[in-house]
Amino acid sequence: MNQTFAVNIIHRPEMVPEYAEKVTGQGKAEDIGRKALLTESLDIFKFQQETAHKNGLKTTIQMTYASLFNEEAVSIAKADHEKYGDEIALSLLGLPCKEFREKYNTKDFCIWMFSMEDKKRIVDDVFGKFHEIFGFYPESTGSYYMDADLTNYIKDKYPSVKCAVATCWEEGPKAYHTCNNSWYTLFDGGPWNPWIPSKQNTHAPAANEAEDSGIVAIPHLSRDLLACYDGNGSNFGTHPQNVLRGMIYDTKTWEYPYLYNLIDQYRHLEKYNNGYSYNMMFVGPGWLNKMGRWEAPYELLKKSYEDGMAYYGELKKEGKLVDMTMAEFADFYRANKTYEEPECALWKDILYGSDKQIFWYCDPYMRAQVNMDQGGAIVDLRPYAAKLKWEVGIGTPHVQDASYPFLIQEKYRAGYFTHYAGEGTVRSAKVCYNGEEVDLCLCRTHARFEQDGKDRKLILDPVDIEFYDLTVTLQTIITFTEGSSDIKIERNILKMSNPDAKVTVNEYMVACYGTTEYPEDMTGITLEVSGSGKSASIDYAYKCREEAIEGGKLATAVIPAIETKVSLGTDADDAKAYIREGYAFSPMFTLGVEKEVSEKEVVTTWLSLAKAN
Amino acid sequence: MAQSSKGKLNYRCPMCFFRDLDIDMFYDKDKKEYYCLRCQYVGSEEDVLAKNELIRIKYGRMMDRITDFD
Repeated sequence: MNQTFAVNIIHRPEMVPEYAEKVTGQGKAEDIGRKALLTESLDIFKFQQETAHKNGLKTTIQMTYASLFNEEAVSIAKADHEKYGDEIALSLLGLPCKEFREKYNTKDFCIWMFSMEDKKRIVDDVFGKFHEIFGFYPESTGSYYMDADLTNYIKDKYPSVKCAVATCWEEGPKAYHTCNNSWYTLFDGGPWNPWIPSKQNTHAPAANEAEDSGIVAIPHLSRDLLACYDGNGSNFGTHPQNVLRGMIYDTKTWEYPYLYNLIDQYRHLEKYNNGYSYNMMFVGPGWLNKMGRWEAPYELLKKSYEDGMAYYGELKKEGKLVDMTMAEFADFYRANKTYEEPECALWKDILYGSDKQIFWYCDPYMRAQVNMDQGGAIVDLRPYAAKLKWEVGIGTPHVQDASYPFLIQEKYRAGYFTHYAGEGTVRSAKVCYNGEEVDLCLCRTHARFEQDGKDRKLILDPVDIEFYDLTVTLQTIITFTEGSSDIKIERNILKMSNPDAKVTVNEYMVACYGTTEYPEDMTGITLEVSGSGKSASIDYAYKCREEAIEGGKLATAVIPAIETKVSLGTDADDAKAYIREGYAFSPMFTLGVEKEVSEKEVVTTWLSLAKAN
Repeated sequence: MAQSSKGKLNYRCPMCFFRDLDIDMFYDKDKKEYYCLRCQYVGSEEDVLAKNELIRIKYGRMMDRITDFD
């Protein structure tokens, strides 16, 4: 797999492009069967196909339900399959059309939001129609999100399906807000690069064959792993018109180096993933509207698409890119990846000029973000080890919300900084000396990546912690071990200005659970601390209680609402472990381990995740 | 006063964009100004375009071609 930059280019002939009816139809009564709309949609599809082929790139054509009723769209797909080797696949996007509306009597169009009964009806209808037209069932499908029950049904009924677009990275409350609280794609917390979804939860990768849903999932777009986490995700992806949406271009020259920087940073990820890197571009026709899109005229929309394809084409000519259809990619992925091999991304800011660096880690047991600008604090944590069954759609407890719950999310539940009172979610450490206390969240640094067998290590540059009469030089090393649900964190006291001094390192994790910005009920959570033959527990009741054990080795929280058990532990005999309950204004819990250390000593702790039944 | 409509290009409110909101503006042809339904922004096309340039100050490296990702 050495130095394979795999790229999927996907086009969908959408007869009623998202946005187009709203944009081009302004001032007119809704009519999704307008001839002008259909003609324009097909023109966009033809342009996209031609642009890819002109640059020597093959595509995956994801036929929409609506396009299956259009002879021209069908004949283009057949011809391009013959001539260029494009894959003819089937999208579950693009359902809206006259035929769909008349049959299902609804304006819903997001497959994951339908009731399970309707999902099955629609899938059977769409797959049946596809078979009627092409004489075979597709190998690839997708939507913005594919919930596990939907995928399991499709795989069971149509086993030819091996690849699907299954989530859009960090498209959740932020996208909802950006769209004036009117865009209901709530599915934060998934992988950013391809993965094999588990049968239990799409976002959580399968750990083994028994959990394997049978498909390889790809994300909808390759997104900026730093910019998307805080800002509007739809401005920062390998979608040229997203870059225009973010106004990340020069208005005079129409240049957008950020698009190429983003593609190149994705290419760079091969360094952390055994030589493999990935990109996908999937521009819906609504983004190439002849009326222009917001302040970008059509000519700029068109140019950006041509430039994006030209860059991929150039990389291919240089032997730096392998274009694949989705089905080909699924085969490639299965041939080259194991279930437990993690996806790693040491990622730097390439847009704002902040010099910030983060690290993302994803495997079947967790997704975590480490922020070097906050001393190596873990600022996002999703406990995939729980493989949480989370049904989505009408008739389930989660009609729209498909996000995988977090334990830590520094944007939705603060991080180090909170207003006035309380704490935010973060996994960090405080160094304490003579009544002074410094949190490593305030120690900005960078890291390098090392792979040692099954260990992926993040080795941070040492930081200085200055007390009134003591300077401590400390280095953090964070280790993720393939096949394990533990994160090992070492704090090495490299040097102290007074070699005889002792400092206390307070390792802590402030956490809660949720999928949005708003707090959940913490009742039902149990905290427990144990070690030295003793134990103590707290049933969460917002009473601000605390328990500690000298010689304690383990602090644990069980969160029944997300079937998750999280622990912070140490193997040191002389540490103190503690648990802290929160209160109504700070609905969090804290797990911690404190240990006194001298120069050249190390504090080692493990954060462990497990399913709590 | 006649109803408003979209302009020839579909401008977003620059003030809302500053706070990560994409809100289409409408054009009041009597007052010859764009206005935002959500916030209190009003402005001519020139003003919208000038504010759109200001928006870009947050992208400190927008025009840099980056080759070092370590």
